[in-house]
Amino acid sequence: MSSEEEILKRFAAIEQAREFYIIGKKVSRVDALDAVLGRPMYTGDLVTGDFLFVKAVRSPYAHALIKGIDISRALKQRGIEAVITHRDIPGENDAGSLIPDRPLLAVDKVRHYGEAVALVVGSGIETVEEAIRLVDVEYEPLPVVKDPFEAMKPDAPRIQNRDNIVTHFKIRKGNIEEGFSKADIIVENTYKTQFMDGLPLETEVAYAFPEKDGRITCISSMQNPFDVYNKVVKILGVGPEDVRVIQAATGGGFGPKSDETPIDIAAYACLAVKKTGKPAFAVFTREEATTVQSKRHAFTIRHKTGATRDGKLVAWKSELVADTGAYISKGHLVIARATFHCTGPYEVPHVWADGYCVLTNNTIAGSTRGFGAPQAHFAAELQMDALAKKLGIDPVEIRARNILRPGSLTATSQRIDDAGLEICFGKVVETARWHQKRREYEELNRTSSRIKKGIGIALLYHGNTLGPEGEDFATVHVRIEEDGSVVVQTGLTEYGTGALTSLVIIVAEILGIPASWVRMERPDTSAVTSSGPTVASRTTVIGGRAAADAATQLRGRLAEVAAGLLGCSPDELVFKDGVVSVGGDRRRGIGFRELVSEASRRGVELRVRGYYIAPPTRWDPETGQGAPYNQYTFGALVSEVEVDTETGLVVVKRMTAAYDAGRVINPLGLLAVIEGGSIQGLGHALTEEIIHENGVVVNPSLHGYIIPTASEAPEWIEPIAVESPGRIGAFGAKAMGEIPVVLPMASIANAVAHAIGVFIRETPLKPERVLKAIREAERKER
Amino acid sequence: MAEELLKIRLTVNGREYEVGLGGSELLIDVLRDRLGLKSVKEGCGEGDCGLCLVIADGVPIHSCLVMAFQADGKKITTVEGLGDGENLHPIQRAFIDVGAVQCGYCIPAAILAAKHLIDTTKNPSREEIRRALRSVLCRCGSYIRFEQAILKVVGKT
Repeated sequence: MSSEEEILKRFAAIEQAREFYIIGKKVSRVDALDAVLGRPMYTGDLVTGDFLFVKAVRSPYAHALIKGIDISRALKQRGIEAVITHRDIPGENDAGSLIPDRPLLAVDKVRHYGEAVALVVGSGIETVEEAIRLVDVEYEPLPVVKDPFEAMKPDAPRIQNRDNIVTHFKIRKGNIEEGFSKADIIVENTYKTQFMDGLPLETEVAYAFPEKDGRITCISSMQNPFDVYNKVVKILGVGPEDVRVIQAATGGGFGPKSDETPIDIAAYACLAVKKTGKPAFAVFTREEATTVQSKRHAFTIRHKTGATRDGKLVAWKSELVADTGAYISKGHLVIARATFHCTGPYEVPHVWADGYCVLTNNTIAGSTRGFGAPQAHFAAELQMDALAKKLGIDPVEIRARNILRPGSLTATSQRIDDAGLEICFGKVVETARWHQKRREYEELNRTSSRIKKGIGIALLYHGNTLGPEGEDFATVHVRIEEDGSVVVQTGLTEYGTGALTSLVIIVAEILGIPASWVRMERPDTSAVTSSGPTVASRTTVIGGRAAADAATQLRGRLAEVAAGLLGCSPDELVFKDGVVSVGGDRRRGIGFRELVSEASRRGVELRVRGYYIAPPTRWDPETGQGAPYNQYTFGALVSEVEVDTETGLVVVKRMTAAYDAGRVINPLGLLAVIEGGSIQGLGHALTEEIIHENGVVVNPSLHGYIIPTASEAPEWIEPIAVESPGRIGAFGAKAMGEIPVVLPMASIANAVAHAIGVFIRETPLKPERVLKAIREAERKER
Repeated sequence: MAEELLKIRLTVNGREYEVGLGGSELLIDVLRDRLGLKSVKEGCGEGDCGLCLVIADGVPIHSCLVMAFQADGKKITTVEGLGDGENLHPIQRAFIDVGAVQCGYCIPAAILAAKHLIDTTKNPSREEIRRALRSVLCRCGSYIRFEQAILKVVGKT
């Protein structure tokens, strides 16, 4: 086992990184000190003085007509200041984060369990909770559409006033019939993944208060302050200057905090302020959060894959069906990403894929870390192992014959231009001692009757940043104070990814100053311009470019002053170690702080706005063919498991993870993200499952929905950083925030199949499912 | 607030407090709302997540499951009592050093769980470390970082 010092040394030994001053070196998180001191920084810590509570009345039905809402009993309660229904919304009753299909408060119909029908505002949480029970809503239950296949039938009840099929996303590459005619073997399987919850441990929370000038300020926990701000302005029916949204420290995001519920919670608090003129506080209970926050889509994926006798893929046909619940949220984009990636990181000449995003009466599915990629990789990677098994070759061998290499064409016929996947693949196989372990475990399993061991692999490609999902831009504001300290502020947010520390590092690198001279200010819609959403692992990649743009502008302005002082041309100057010098000769230099004070004296403006927008990506909507993403992150994950064949319990002992980060900007952050994402993905693979019964979430708690603890985390995760620079990212950086959560389901499921000799094609691999698979395999053997 | 029915005395981070109670308050509410110790977090309110962990008379407890009056006479430690910006407790230092902080929300509880282990178990095994950390959920999955921080403090790395 190595310490993080050794790991970082290994990361930093990467040749390309040597030219850098701070990039790739160990820098602690800019907010780590506040965290270990337990300083008040989250929304709930910042509430002061008297305030009202606001809380939603939620539907107990998954699908019902609302025949009437009587608020009179609730309003009469002592301490209740207001009860708000859709009729009391001053502006637009629309809280859909992207698509305006979702009312903030239900009007004549509820479409999922827990949908908000009214808001109760009062002093004291107990008072409010009591009054919630006194809001009389008359419902007329409707048939519940529980399943997307049922919803796709022509005679199925409609969830919204539209077809239940939201999107039919297509990939058509080559000629699929011709492809299958060349196949010597064909493997056909159906894979199923479950609804999951990103489950940030801080639930949705907002604190809003009236300013003296009538404006409403809202402090809240979220990924996208501008999405929240824009919606709240519309819901309140006020001018853009009447609302200010500030992102407090945010206790986890994982996607749900970029979608629907941060809009809801901020709107609840702001509506209460608007109605009463008093400060208001809203916070979800764990049960509420787990019920209504957007989930990871449950997928059913059917694959038919053809290969030649020597293991070359020739044809791949897929159907993917994603259950997006009662409102679309980001479902139409999730299905696109899943379908784009449905063949895994392999070159297949003939591909035919149909992806469907479907409405049901389940709770909403939307953004969750990985955005359709974990489901797509789970199915593709198990399919690859099934092919290997049928051909009697090693899983590594089938992959080696088909992976995307420089010059390969993806399922959308996009040409791959770097060797990131090959390198990651080679490194995990070697580091994990794949072939040796594979043999050892097979040997052991022949004699061990109860505990079986297995080793599995999965490979990844991940189209970077937004691509087809939106305008991929960022703005970062940087100013240098007269004392030489540098302040960075942006609408991009920190919620655990460490990406804002990367922005600090990039600014410090370009200005040649220690990272400790740079500080971040909280995202505030009154202080910065929109920077697009903080999603799709794009902060370091795209935001990093905007930060670099700002820092470069500032450097140029300072260089002009320094050149005059030092009697040289600006391009001879080196910015390093807090000194600006001619060609790195410190005797012919000036301290950065001294230079800043001189520049300030001369009236040089040291406040700039950096901007970057990624090139638009293009693909044909009828065939999916084209280049949907500007660059790809690659990765490979080997998992080693032990399966108790008496109980069905799976324990992940060790993981070896190689990721092509393009350029490691912040190695300490990358290390935490690799380990943490792997552990989160382990939960997805083994235990996590949101269970709907007739549309009702039956396990909305942390004892009903089981996430990994320290005991379930593998004994060790061996991290390997690869740098195969991307085309657009800052200094070549590729997306990494979401990535490590993508492969564990696939890698662990393949390891379990190696251990027990049978594939389990439905997640999670909970003990009863594993046990059932073992027993069925035994029956077949007999 | 409800009428004050009883008074409790407790020592928190070395300071003595007398707090009037209505009787139904939880310890977490007294710590956060009355004494301003915001490091104590609530993640579930049901004793599942452990983010409200504090040390009471040398024992880690979930302050969301304890009635405030039950804390009468107890000595309680929260992260605010470990160190300040100038002087960090070694475990706080180690958390920063190994890169344990991601979203930060569970960090105060994880630090207390780690500190309790270090204070009570000489030379803890990796199994003991994992068991001690098991009482705090971290959704960012920083468990191996926490373990590394503990190993650093006990001199095993």
